[in-house]
Amino acid sequence: MSRKSLWIIVALLGLLSLLPLVGGAYALRIGTFASMYAILAVSWNVIGGMAGYPSFATAAFFGLGAYAGGIMLAGGASLAVATVATGLMTFVAAFIFGVILLRLKGHYFAIGSLAVAEVLRELTNAATELTGGGMGLNIPMSSVVKSVVGEAQFFFYIMWALLIVTLIVVIGIERSKLGFGLRCICQNESAADMIGVNSTLYKSLAFGFSGVFVAMAGVIYAGWVHYIEPPDVYDILYSVKPIVMALLGGLGSTLGAVMGAFLFLAIEEFVWRNLLDLHTGVLGLLIVVLLLFLPKGLVSFGSSWLGKRLVWRNGVPRD
Amino acid sequence: MLALQVLTNGLVLGCLYACIAAGFSLVWGVLNVINIMHGGFIVAGSYVAWLSYSRMGIDPWFTLFFVAPLFFGIGYLIQRGILNRVIAAPVLVTLTLTFGMDLILNNGMLIAFSADYRKLLLSPPLETLLLAGIVVPVDRLLAMVLALSLTLALYLILRHSRVGRAIIAVRMDRDASLLMGVDIKKIYSVAFGFGAAMAGCAGVLLALIFPISPLSAGAYLGKAFVVCVLGGLGSVPGAILGGLFLGVTESVGAVVFGPEHSVTLSFSLLIVFLILRPQGILGKKGYE
Amino acid sequence: MKTFTMDLLRSTVGRFRRAVPLLLTTVVAASVFGIQPVHAQETIKFGAPLPITGPLAPEALKQKQGYDLWANQVNLAGGINVAGKKMKVEIVYIDYQSNTPRAIQATERLITQDNVQFVFAPFGSGAAKAASTVAERYGVPMIAATASSSQVYDQGYKFLFGTFTPNETLTNPLATIIRQRAPDVKRVAILARNDLFPLAIAQEMEKSAKDRGLEVVYFEKFAINTLDHSSALAQIKAANPQWIFATGYTNDLVLMRKQMTDQRIEAPVVTMIAAPAYQEFIDAAGKGAENISSAAWWHPAVRYKGIDIFGTTESYVKLFKDTYKADPDYAHASASVSGALFQIAIEKSGSIDRQKVRDELAKMDVITFWGPVKFGPTGQITSLEPPVFQIQNAKPIVVHPAAIKQGDLKIGVK
Repeated sequence: MSRKSLWIIVALLGLLSLLPLVGGAYALRIGTFASMYAILAVSWNVIGGMAGYPSFATAAFFGLGAYAGGIMLAGGASLAVATVATGLMTFVAAFIFGVILLRLKGHYFAIGSLAVAEVLRELTNAATELTGGGMGLNIPMSSVVKSVVGEAQFFFYIMWALLIVTLIVVIGIERSKLGFGLRCICQNESAADMIGVNSTLYKSLAFGFSGVFVAMAGVIYAGWVHYIEPPDVYDILYSVKPIVMALLGGLGSTLGAVMGAFLFLAIEEFVWRNLLDLHTGVLGLLIVVLLLFLPKGLVSFGSSWLGKRLVWRNGVPRD
Repeated sequence: MLALQVLTNGLVLGCLYACIAAGFSLVWGVLNVINIMHGGFIVAGSYVAWLSYSRMGIDPWFTLFFVAPLFFGIGYLIQRGILNRVIAAPVLVTLTLTFGMDLILNNGMLIAFSADYRKLLLSPPLETLLLAGIVVPVDRLLAMVLALSLTLALYLILRHSRVGRAIIAVRMDRDASLLMGVDIKKIYSVAFGFGAAMAGCAGVLLALIFPISPLSAGAYLGKAFVVCVLGGLGSVPGAILGGLFLGVTESVGAVVFGPEHSVTLSFSLLIVFLILRPQGILGKKGYE
Repeated sequence: MKTFTMDLLRSTVGRFRRAVPLLLTTVVAASVFGIQPVHAQETIKFGAPLPITGPLAPEALKQKQGYDLWANQVNLAGGINVAGKKMKVEIVYIDYQSNTPRAIQATERLITQDNVQFVFAPFGSGAAKAASTVAERYGVPMIAATASSSQVYDQGYKFLFGTFTPNETLTNPLATIIRQRAPDVKRVAILARNDLFPLAIAQEMEKSAKDRGLEVVYFEKFAINTLDHSSALAQIKAANPQWIFATGYTNDLVLMRKQMTDQRIEAPVVTMIAAPAYQEFIDAAGKGAENISSAAWWHPAVRYKGIDIFGTTESYVKLFKDTYKADPDYAHASASVSGALFQIAIEKSGSIDRQKVRDELAKMDVITFWGPVKFGPTGQITSLEPPVFQIQNAKPIVVHPAAIKQGDLKIGVK
């Protein structure tokens, strides 16, 4: 990742951290979602953008995290313990499952990863004693923070902190041998195998990383909203939106994923506020317009000031 | 007796699934595009059937005759105007694009018809048949026969018409077809048109059986996915086999594991097939 | 020609690319800070999050009709009487897309951005429970028009009230009546949608049936989005029950009823919750709706003389019919009465102060067109006696309680 991109990310994060000073509880709620969306988009980018495997498993990770963490929280565990434990568990599970699933390519991998989310949702639904099934899971309110603004600030900073951790790890991956290997795999997997890249290992690691922070975000989310149901946390939109965000920002670019997430959230909020009956249609229209006219995302503005510093002439992200 | 009844139910259901999936399979196999709007097209077809019957008294089997060309035209235009632009783009782009278009379609139908479930009630209603101790509802039987006929018609078109053979050629080897002088863009548009027409017709048939609402689109799409993977992409026999397999498995599975697990079962099957036999039951042999 | 147009479009878009960063900032700022509406002195704002899109959309329509009917009536009369001053009512609607997290967000937005004074809960038990946390934290009275599970009210909140009595108040009278009218009924089969309310009430039914000595021969759940119930129904047929009890949303029950006919399943008693209360079910099920029994928290045939703005049940039904050209069902009525209860509480306390209104609601003990209203210590209503009814000749007929019954329970569903 270029130094310019890094500075832009730092600037964005810094701006975000100032939100509690200027906004009330509602603004903080939006800010928390902004960080959460960014975590989802950046994580997806590891498997979808860097490795080139179009994963629809984000919803599976999020739901798994929300429920595993939620059950621990409901059982009395602290947020920190639940988050870390769930993260580790998800990483291992994603890695192992990835070894099998990542043998598929293209559409097949996409469908397979989507099916995992569906199966997990129904399994969660069926395990009524453990998860409450269709009746949902209650997570008790934290007794520490009582006021509305206090709780909002607490969760805002936690999600923001998780975003920073995610970015550190992902940028680290980009610069490491793993990142290099993933980029090779993305371009030509058999060639990568031939030059000695252990593609199964790398892909599975990438899949694991694409899941761990999403699951941790799920845990925080469960603690934040206090009540979760399978159709809510395994919602397919949690798989589709990060993809749109990453495409919006520029496929393969971590900075793009962050910018895409923020912009997407802003558009979504704006549309939701102002167009009661049409908002899903307008969102669809935005997606269509984006993909037809701006296929390389925000980072690809060739002639603009921003673009020159972020891409090479042929439109490939400089990251 | 229960076993035989369950099996029959599964087979009848399976033919409906095959009809739902045939058009989807064609588009996925030939254009390598997953058309998320497929479920929406089916629901739109159902609405047309419902409107024709309740407002104008036209029976669903006649509605089929004008739904097919209408939806073909719409599909053709969509492919020509929008999807052909991104046909060379990665899988992700086309998938997300059709997802966005489906959001628009869904919102449109929601505004036009509201989310209330409508039902096409034939009067007089079709009864049930009792064959050797097994009950078979006539409307499902009729829908099954028509679904199979439609699928067969598609198969014949693919096999015996010039356009059909061109579509198969593109499916087998795109570059070779290009070299042979096939207008790929036109073929893509025709194939997508066929897919849309099949979806619309499937919708007309399903209107006889299921309640109609934009909210059902997702469920139909999910079935289409599973059938395609089970049966093999781009082939009509594959869609039929996949559909029957899914129908029977769901029916039997609901008895053995309980009805709450039917969705889990179909998606688990999907995953197993993807891992062990991604080309489906018929695989490459299913091209015809 | 086509490429020319595309190029033109591309270059136009290209020219605006420089503006994107500015646009980005504006959009972000606008959505975060919003445009604060001018706070009009003469209106009281009520917030109503509704699932206008998504699987619950049909319910949103009913609720909106109910709320609007109340708001219009109040404003026609000049407004709510707040210690002598008349203040008009404005309801602010937000779509939460049938999605519980959005419901929470919508509730918070209504309170903090739209500055509503009071709020209605989102649809159903799950979303209501989730949103009640927000209301409690901000100290905003919330009335839930469609939350029946007692778990919704078990967090010890003071600002949440609900107009539905717990699920067992539906299943117990049902079981009792059927025992009385059809003593030969011994075996019950239960099929429930794996969703909060349908599953919860099915579990209550199992309890009520067992308590009365009935044998539950089948109890299964079906997944949301199930397109085919034939296997479950085939198993039910094989178990030979005399009473079939099914729960789900309207589309599930319409489909199920049709498949029962398809498989020639007959039983002395068939009960479904909650669709038979809706006209859409009767329309869609056609002849299949005949003799289906059900229970609900209200029915147009009940007769109460209320002190609320609608007055008697008959006048409410008539007003609804004149306005919407259809009969109201319990979903519409519950929404209307929620508004009416806020009105009574405001008028009694003589102010729109949230704490005072909340206290009035807590000690309320009045008769309304909906029935007698008294809230228990958890905030859930305890005073209703839900009617049991049956569809006879394509019309819902009340068979219990005796005071308002219009007919007797008929045995035999073909």
